[in-house]
Amino acid sequence: MSQADAIQTVPTAKVRADVRAGWLAVIVFALLCVLAQAQFDWLETFPEALQLPVEAWFNIGMDWIVANFRAVFQTVTLVFTYPMGWIRETLHWLPWSGFVLVMAALAFKARGAGLPVFTTLSLVYVLTVGLWTEAMNSFALVFISVPLAVLVGFVLGVWGFASKRVERALNPVLEIAQTVPAFAYLLPILLLFGFGPVVGLVASVLFAFPPMVRNTILGLRDVPSDIIESGQMSGANRAQLFWLVRFPAGRRQILVGVNQTTMASLSMVIIASMIGGTADIGWEVLSTMRKAEFGASLVAGIVIALMAMILDRITFGMAEREGRGLEHRGFLKRYGFWFAIAGSIALLIVLRPALPILGAWPETWQIDLAEPLDQAIQWFILAFKPLLEAMKNSVIFFVMLPLKIGLDKAVSPFTWGFGWQPWHTAVYAVLVLAGTVAAIHAGRVRLAIAVVLGALVLLVGIADMPWPASVAILVYFGWRMGGSGLATGTALALSFLLVSGSWDKAMLSIHLTTLAVLASFLIGTTLGIIAAQNDWFSRLMRPINDTLQTMPPFVLLIPIVMLFKIGDFTALLAIISYAYVPAFRYAEHGLRHVSKDVVEAATCIGATPMQLLLQVKLPLALPNIMLGLNQTIMYGMAMLVIAALVGTSDLGQEVYVGLSAGNFGQGFVAGLGMAIIAITADRFCRAWQRNHEARLQKGAA
Amino acid sequence: MKLTPKTAIGVLALSAFTLSGPAAWAQVETDEPIRIAINEWTGQHISANIAAELLKKMGYNVELVTAGGLPQFTALAQNEINLNPEVWDNSVTDIYTDGLQTGAIVNMGSLGLEPRESWIYPAYMEEACPGLPSYQALFDCAEAFATAETFPNGRLITYPADWGTRSKSVVEGIGLPFNPVPGGSEGTMVAELKSALASQAPIIMMFWQPHWVFAEVDMKWVEWNEVEGECIEEEQVRDTACGFSQASVNKIVSNNFAATWPNAAAFIEEFTLNNEQQNIMINEIDQKGRSLKEVVAEWIADNEATWTPWIQ
Repeated sequence: MSQADAIQTVPTAKVRADVRAGWLAVIVFALLCVLAQAQFDWLETFPEALQLPVEAWFNIGMDWIVANFRAVFQTVTLVFTYPMGWIRETLHWLPWSGFVLVMAALAFKARGAGLPVFTTLSLVYVLTVGLWTEAMNSFALVFISVPLAVLVGFVLGVWGFASKRVERALNPVLEIAQTVPAFAYLLPILLLFGFGPVVGLVASVLFAFPPMVRNTILGLRDVPSDIIESGQMSGANRAQLFWLVRFPAGRRQILVGVNQTTMASLSMVIIASMIGGTADIGWEVLSTMRKAEFGASLVAGIVIALMAMILDRITFGMAEREGRGLEHRGFLKRYGFWFAIAGSIALLIVLRPALPILGAWPETWQIDLAEPLDQAIQWFILAFKPLLEAMKNSVIFFVMLPLKIGLDKAVSPFTWGFGWQPWHTAVYAVLVLAGTVAAIHAGRVRLAIAVVLGALVLLVGIADMPWPASVAILVYFGWRMGGSGLATGTALALSFLLVSGSWDKAMLSIHLTTLAVLASFLIGTTLGIIAAQNDWFSRLMRPINDTLQTMPPFVLLIPIVMLFKIGDFTALLAIISYAYVPAFRYAEHGLRHVSKDVVEAATCIGATPMQLLLQVKLPLALPNIMLGLNQTIMYGMAMLVIAALVGTSDLGQEVYVGLSAGNFGQGFVAGLGMAIIAITADRFCRAWQRNHEARLQKGAA
Repeated sequence: MKLTPKTAIGVLALSAFTLSGPAAWAQVETDEPIRIAINEWTGQHISANIAAELLKKMGYNVELVTAGGLPQFTALAQNEINLNPEVWDNSVTDIYTDGLQTGAIVNMGSLGLEPRESWIYPAYMEEACPGLPSYQALFDCAEAFATAETFPNGRLITYPADWGTRSKSVVEGIGLPFNPVPGGSEGTMVAELKSALASQAPIIMMFWQPHWVFAEVDMKWVEWNEVEGECIEEEQVRDTACGFSQASVNKIVSNNFAATWPNAAAFIEEFTLNNEQQNIMINEIDQKGRSLKEVVAEWIADNEATWTPWIQ
């Protein structure tokens, strides 16, 4: 062994010993907490004397803002009410045939032949189910909120690009705006801007502008320096350099931002409707949801999904096309198409009095799809309820309950067939110990630590874990993963939950999201892997994923409740059905983009397809898959608020209670708690990624 | 239609009504439209549309505006919505109570609907729990209502957490062996009910009448002891339990209503609708699939004798 090797191994061994000692201390501390829990109340619940009236502070702050600045915000309302009204009136005045023509033309310009067909068929669906007026009201909101969000996002993005300091200040703001559930700030928006569609507009812009900022910064920054240099050499001044060189070069990325902003804005349509004053598709979904009319709400939900898909494909197509067709063209060639479209619309309007069918879709051409859908779900319930019930019970008894309240309480004669006795604990401890020793013996120290901690959590339950134990485990874990920065961040985040009095509810949220995220990640990644290998499966899943992602999640709640009753399990399923999609997409994307050379090389040396997948493709796609996990966490947290509608008792429910009680502080503290959990989880994922890259580089070196 | 900020708020789909308003019966004080809130359930749509039609007969301009349950009170307090003829005071919050106290919104009296709130169960549960409808029976047959999560206790679905915790107070007060499970939202409660009925599964839940669901399903009410004066949920014991204090349904207007449209205010004070009338219309719309407009027009045509005195 060379000297260099020896020098390298010495510090690693020391670090390893430190880590072992550290984890041992944490585990002993957690065990002591658990054992002492019965004696000391303050271990179980954070002492009230140490809690701060954070809620009240938020309320005082908000009252002050409302009292002093309401007039300013009302002016904004007035300014936006007019253009919103105009767009609305214009869309209603336009014959349906004209609107279809415009959208199809846009689709053609963006994507070529296929998309106009999809666009037309989708809009015909909207006509057929008789929701045209409502859809136009939704489009009116989107058509004004997207440009606004794009404008706000672009300006902030340029500013963030120009100044590092601004970018650093912007980052947390963007993160909070994306992770605090909109329900938590609906109330102040309502108080400041007054009742009406403008509230929905504001909420939608607040939620939709962050991706635009990020993509603008990214697009402007990543312009290759030789392009900038050639601009400078041609003698461009600063403004020219920006608008004629940098901006066009970064336009593609900026258009990706437009695409993401459009989608985010559409997902707010339904939330905007909760305020009212819109009579749009969102309202239709909410009303039918309230009546538990599954069929009708699905029909309306699909309209939103289709709108989202059309706008997604069009904006995405424009981003993809960017860069092509920059050559100079004559005036007629450039604008002739649009003149032809405008001419056709004028013709349609002229013809409307003679051919009323062009303006109003005949009622006899409408079809009631809701009825058969309702019957289908009825039939399904009757046919499968016993089976589904059995499935649900086993998940609750053997997974959800133990993780929530611990094996010691979850195991009872009714659930497992026997009660938890002290000797069970003894046997359990011996088994865990044996597993740990075996793992250490095999040199897998990390596995041993995971076994001990996992066993402890399973025995006590996430919700019943003494708070000092949870804090110690998480902060130390943060320190191991990301150093002092992540440890401090985690400590601060957990302190906020403790001090604001949200700890218990936060633990319930963590319990539910942990399970949901694990399940979503497993399901999504597995399906994504299958889709990466089979084109037909990928094609089959694409519309399903798109629909689940863009349809208001409320729609899914009704059938799930009908099958599984109100409760945590239903909430779990609702979250999974929404959160598995990113895991799916990132896994498929990652696997499909593994370098062809590597795959060929592996095939040449005789790897079987299974070996190719497990030993070559998956490890290479791992960073992408982990990105999917990160997104799954974000989506899962976002869905928590919606899941509160099926009767959870966590932070999501608090957000609702705050909203309907008119208590801004209560809802916002809960919303902030959710954002903090999501952001902390995100930091852990990123730390993992950094470590992974570092390991790879070390391995390569 | 002239485009003002207010009309822009209005709902175009519904404001067709305004355009087709008949010739005025009487001279009205102002052309400014009365904006009426439309909530999410059919019963309220009926009340609101009947009020709207009658106001139009009086010569007023009317606009119907969709509004969420909570936001509507902010809108009423700011005179952006002027009238909601059917406000249930059982699921309202501080904004409502404070608003009434400070005069930001005004109560024009009861609509005439007589709400009932208690626990409901399907008729087939009487076989599993013979002592029903008396609440006393529930003490002995909690297991008949048990599910995996609640066993050996029964499972009682209560109002969503944001509507308060009255059922929980009663359960705890009288020591009933049931676990209250918050319903989450109206839609999920109805979904759960429909699903239980479809498979004849046990169910008991807090509910209220009039509600359109009773046009569709046959449910029984748990009965409680009579009580003198107000029934207070938090202060009950097993033997004298009285159940729930009953809600009232009020006509709420904005604070500028009486001053801006005095005659309309006089009409709103008179306007009433009872359970039976509303249930029939709800049934026509939700069950027989007729349009709201048609059913309301029919009621107006058939009940001229009822409403003529109101609008004079």
